[in-house]
Amino acid sequence: MRAMRWVIGAAVLLVGCGGTPDRDRVIQLHVLVWKANNPHAWDEALRRFHAAHPGIRVVLEEGPNSSTQLHDLLAQKLRNRDTSLDAFLMDVVWPPEFAAAGWTLPLDNRFSEEDRSRFFPGCMSAVTYEGAIHGVPFFTDSGVLYYRRDLLAARGFDPPRTWNELVEQAGKLGARWGFSGQFRQYEGLVCNMLEFVHAHGGDLMHPSSPVAVEAVRFVRDRIIGTLAPRGVLTYQEQESLDLFKSGGAAFLRSWPYAWTILEDPAHSEVAGRVGIARLPAFEGGRSVSTLGGWSFGIHRHSRHPDEAWAFVRFMTGPEMQRHFAIRVGKAPARRELYADPAVLEANPHFAELRPVFETATPRPRSPIYPRISHILQRYFHQALSDPESAIEELARTAEEQIEGEMARIAAAE
Amino acid sequence: MDDPRRLGQVLLLPALLLIGLLLLLPIASTVITSLHIDTPFAPKRFVGLQNYAQLRDDPVARGTIEFTILFVTVSVALEILLGLIFALFIHHRFRGRGLVRASVLVPWAIPTVVAAVMWKYMLNDQYGFINLLLHGGHIESYRAYLADPGGARFAIILADVWKTSSFAALLILAGLQAIPDELYEAARVDGAGPIRTFFFITLPLLRPAILVALLFRIMDAFRVFDLVYVMTQGAPGGATQVLQFFGYQKMFPEQQFGYGSAVSVVVFIIVAIFSLLTVRLLGSRIFEESS
Amino acid sequence: MMPALCNRILRRSGFVLGLVILLLFSLGPFLWILVTSLKSPAQIAARPPELWPAFDFTFFRTVFAQHSFARYALNSLVVATCTTAAAITLGTLAAYPLARLRVRFRRTLLALVLMASMFPQVAIVGGIYRMLSAAGLLNTYPGLILPYTALTLPLAIWILVSFFREIPPELEEAALVDGCGPLAALGRIILPVSAPAVFTAAILVFIYAWNEFFFALLITTDPAVQTLPVGIAKFPGEYEIPWGDLAAAAVVATAPLVAMVLGLQRRIIRGLTAGAVKG
Repeated sequence: MRAMRWVIGAAVLLVGCGGTPDRDRVIQLHVLVWKANNPHAWDEALRRFHAAHPGIRVVLEEGPNSSTQLHDLLAQKLRNRDTSLDAFLMDVVWPPEFAAAGWTLPLDNRFSEEDRSRFFPGCMSAVTYEGAIHGVPFFTDSGVLYYRRDLLAARGFDPPRTWNELVEQAGKLGARWGFSGQFRQYEGLVCNMLEFVHAHGGDLMHPSSPVAVEAVRFVRDRIIGTLAPRGVLTYQEQESLDLFKSGGAAFLRSWPYAWTILEDPAHSEVAGRVGIARLPAFEGGRSVSTLGGWSFGIHRHSRHPDEAWAFVRFMTGPEMQRHFAIRVGKAPARRELYADPAVLEANPHFAELRPVFETATPRPRSPIYPRISHILQRYFHQALSDPESAIEELARTAEEQIEGEMARIAAAE
Repeated sequence: MDDPRRLGQVLLLPALLLIGLLLLLPIASTVITSLHIDTPFAPKRFVGLQNYAQLRDDPVARGTIEFTILFVTVSVALEILLGLIFALFIHHRFRGRGLVRASVLVPWAIPTVVAAVMWKYMLNDQYGFINLLLHGGHIESYRAYLADPGGARFAIILADVWKTSSFAALLILAGLQAIPDELYEAARVDGAGPIRTFFFITLPLLRPAILVALLFRIMDAFRVFDLVYVMTQGAPGGATQVLQFFGYQKMFPEQQFGYGSAVSVVVFIIVAIFSLLTVRLLGSRIFEESS
Repeated sequence: MMPALCNRILRRSGFVLGLVILLLFSLGPFLWILVTSLKSPAQIAARPPELWPAFDFTFFRTVFAQHSFARYALNSLVVATCTTAAAITLGTLAAYPLARLRVRFRRTLLALVLMASMFPQVAIVGGIYRMLSAAGLLNTYPGLILPYTALTLPLAIWILVSFFREIPPELEEAALVDGCGPLAALGRIILPVSAPAVFTAAILVFIYAWNEFFFALLITTDPAVQTLPVGIAKFPGEYEIPWGDLAAAAVVATAPLVAMVLGLQRRIIRGLTAGAVKG
């Protein structure tokens, strides 16, 4: 009870004395982000920002972590020109949509050319639409292959360079399943399938091309139900990680975030026995990895664009990107940090991943990407979940639907 | 005579104002939007019934309507059946009846979102309770029920039936308790067995209660959303896509407000038709002037 | 004598068996979530799943410490209670004239009210959002209470109207003859008699407001105002679904309702029985 009184007294004192002298000249910025896994890292970031910018007070509004739900929320606010919103986080596929809708503030005049060159080119092109820059990259992400180092070493295998090699190896490694990935009907399915389709020489906007169809057939016949349990058709990141980290699968396709969890003995049964590598290619082709990540955008109708820019600049600056890389394990979008000793010490796998980030492949960049994604999700999931599915037909339908949507948007609807 | 009239209008005003402003106005706005193309990429454009034509020709929409009708038919039938069985059970006098009745109400009290997460967890193919129940410790036979179209549809129907049978049970129980005991006495005296009593006395007299349960359940089943949103998102491949979810997808992720509004209007029309039909059977006494 | 006794025993055991199945069906999933919430973190991903928990309260602690759950619970309580109060008050005031007094367009109004509740709610979110935004009510309690009241009024009115109608008019007439105005008649005669129906309507409204998810998700982004279902939706971490935390959250979100239902089941049933469903 005594302690409580001290705490309350201290709080009152702090509140009384700690307020800024010019209360009415403090500008409040509202920034919409997802709920952080590591709130301390964000609190620290805000603390430093407030110290450096005493005239600005940032209020973080929390949305759900699900990218889809955050998109719904954000779109709602931006459509309604909610002037109380100043800045927000954008998933890597949103900038074209937001830019075409006139929701984001073009940043060309504030974001110097010199600074732009410090970021990964893939990240920069993701925030560029019709020649203008609409966001600043915050984190980057791309698909990688995790493998059981111990199981491969026991058979003298090197990490597989091609998918056929992986299939062969998986059969001899002794884990219950060979492969784990995300094949539920959601955005992650498009990410996974992009890697197969592009590696096979196709592209997502033309699903009915023979190479694209073959890639899907490969996944349906050689992976789902054979190498990986049928359950992967219901897995998102967490379930697929669960299978791998409990020792149930020899290979896992996932994102770099999983490394920290896999190496933590408190959470993972395979800690210390995991390797990370590029995804396999198909014979004669190259390895493809889907580009992910988040960037900051500023609301076109914000009442405080300059202050919002100060905040965005701060959060995406080298100091903060290093801070998040070390504290939270997020892969920075600035290339120079991959040579930074502190960052590498906290995340040794970043060194190997840098080339993957440099060449990661983006999803189709279009204002109507959500519609395209839905079409692709339905197509892929239908094709993969039915062992007898007529892939060519489904692919043709999907391509027609995509063309239909593109035609509609071209005619300015 | 004018006074009660005026008073009546005054009393009605607040409620009607709120409903008018926050319900009827948005509904009207949605209906109007359904006649336009409304996306963030171009100014709003009037197109008459084009969205409805697009809906008619959209194969995905057709599949959605098919499953929605299947879902409503099977779910509601099961809910009424189970509701009837539950009601018959808790109608009897026995010790601990209160506790049993309360237990029957629990599924209804749980937030739908929570229930959907619960079911998703139970149907998990690695550590789900359903798999434990059906296959015990043999984890090799564990199946991913939500990965197959049939399994996913079954799961959605099961989750919905679980959640709302208790509501149907309550309404039917009300009807059961309204049946006078003398009728049962008379039947017993006449030598009728329990089965005959049920079919010739109980069931006919339960008709109004069953029909009310039917009305409410049909109205709600056509608008099922939370379950699909949390459990399957319409997967696999659109097998569990329902109308309200389809409308939501068009409106929010895809930002096609005109098209999405048209879907909602269609849902409304379907619900209204079914409700009117049910009310016809039930008798429209509710809407009549009072004595 | 023997066959009849056998018959009795068979019927009894059949009955008990049926009861057990009924209980397992209704309570099973909830019990499983309760068990899950009481497991230790190590037990959660066990394959096959373990049936008996370690009675570890880690997840409950996490839920309240890390996820500001107490705040969400408070918000849900405030919003649900206010919605119920508003819906019952306005609903009663509206149901009385619709059931008793001669009001113009009574049938149309009733039909309109019922139709309003048939429209898919997903579609009207946009319109309501715009209005609340213009009125500056986003991220406030009234921003949720007002739409919820509007959404539950039709149901409340419908229940109350059908119940009021069953009350014999002689009761009021006696009061009116004695010199009571219609409002006093409403307060002193009608309301006490229709307590069960009012009660039922209140419960239905409360449960609706407590469980509502989609509107709350879109209208509130400030954790200080968000309700339990939104809190639960925010649970899944960026790539993790903490089943243990979720289970504990589910128990917390549901326990008040379950307790309410357990305690008040007789009243609820009486309310639905008495009058609302007379053929």
